[in-house]
Amino acid sequence: MRRTLVLPVTLVAMALGFLISVQFQTQKGVSAAEQINEDRMSQMKSVLSNSQEKNISLHKEHSVLMKQLDVARKTVGVSPKLLAELNKFEILCGKQAVSGSGIHITIDDRESPFPLFSDDIATMINVLKFARAEAISLNGQRIVGSTAIVLSGSSNIVVNQVPINVTSETPYEINAIGNQDTLYDYFSKLIGVTLKESGMTVSIVKKTVSIPSYKGEYTFKNTVPLVP
Amino acid sequence: MKWEKKDRTLLGLASMLIGFLFIVLLKSNVVYGSKGVWQETSIPILIQINKENQQLSLENKKLKLEVEKYMQVQSTSDLYNQQLKEAKMNAGLISVTGPGLRITLDDSKRVVGEKEDPMSFIIHEEYIRDILNALWNGGAEAIAVNGQRIMANTEVFCSGSYIQINVTRQMPPYVIEVTGDVRDLSSSLEFYRWFQLGYLQQQNGITRNIEVLSKVVIPAGKLPEYHYAEPVKGDI
Repeated sequence: MRRTLVLPVTLVAMALGFLISVQFQTQKGVSAAEQINEDRMSQMKSVLSNSQEKNISLHKEHSVLMKQLDVARKTVGVSPKLLAELNKFEILCGKQAVSGSGIHITIDDRESPFPLFSDDIATMINVLKFARAEAISLNGQRIVGSTAIVLSGSSNIVVNQVPINVTSETPYEINAIGNQDTLYDYFSKLIGVTLKESGMTVSIVKKTVSIPSYKGEYTFKNTVPLVP
Repeated sequence: MKWEKKDRTLLGLASMLIGFLFIVLLKSNVVYGSKGVWQETSIPILIQINKENQQLSLENKKLKLEVEKYMQVQSTSDLYNQQLKEAKMNAGLISVTGPGLRITLDDSKRVVGEKEDPMSFIIHEEYIRDILNALWNGGAEAIAVNGQRIMANTEVFCSGSYIQINVTRQMPPYVIEVTGDVRDLSSSLEFYRWFQLGYLQQQNGITRNIEVLSKVVIPAGKLPEYHYAEPVKGDI
């Protein structure tokens, strides 16, 4: 009995030894790969946090500059009446950040079998314009005349050439300033109902909202004023 | 088969070892997987932030220049007028001209057959909006539809038999005029809606016409009244 066991036990022992060594080998490989991954992650994290820090400081700088500009305009002596006039034009072209009574819309399409496309969002913005919104922003991007809302790849929505739907907790946030009742009624009836039917979470709240300025550029390479 | 105690402990130890090794292997795989996901989500975030940073630094540069101008300037009215003109130009409140395209869309004049869908014989608001979106994306500098300048607050909204643009009623034919780089603008129209309109032209006789012009005139829009929006100092 004992003698018959010698051969299989030896074989099992050899196989085990082999397995152990293979395991150690792969473990080494895995930890090397893990190390590389770890390095990559930490690099990525530092690149990301650098960009985020830069973003914050740029926003601060922008804010400071806008204030300086305001002070400069006043000290140089432009009359408040003329400044108010300039402000209106700058609201229309989006250079001026604004706040006022309006509605705040959040749409979560993550649970819906039909996620939102760029066309759907363009339709929403159009309804808000139809409801005579005075200023509109979508995930922090100011909507101006030349704003294009396009799909990049299969799911990234790009507004003013900036992708908008990758970071925030709620996928879509729209702010609009204008007559609250009109904005609310038009949006909830023309858009909200359909969105809810297709399984999205939609909230529309009447409140005072702030809308940032347009950070993009207007370029006129081919176009000149008709009267120079 | 009878096993001696020694053999049994040996076998037990061996199976424990194998189990342990197996778990180690599994664990390392799981850890690897979760990191992959993190990387996948962080790349688009990075792209977004960098794009925004680019825009912001450009904007800040421009603002700095402007502030400097104020510091140096003697004649304020000149500077003010210049800024006023720039804001008006950007907002679409100045009539402009330049090379561009004229696109004409019109309902079909053909009689709708019995089995045909009458909706596919007319020009809908989406067609116009999609074309405008594509043109802006292709670098359009100024656009008007039936003489209505497209501005930040311009709606293109179907209200039954007409399309409302800038609170005016517009009927077909819809003439879209746009200035900008003609080649860029033409290639920006190579998208599904444009091709769909081409198909409807062939099948149902709607009009989808495009002219490349060396000079297009785009009229100025009107400044809307602001009752709710108040300028904010600084930015948000």
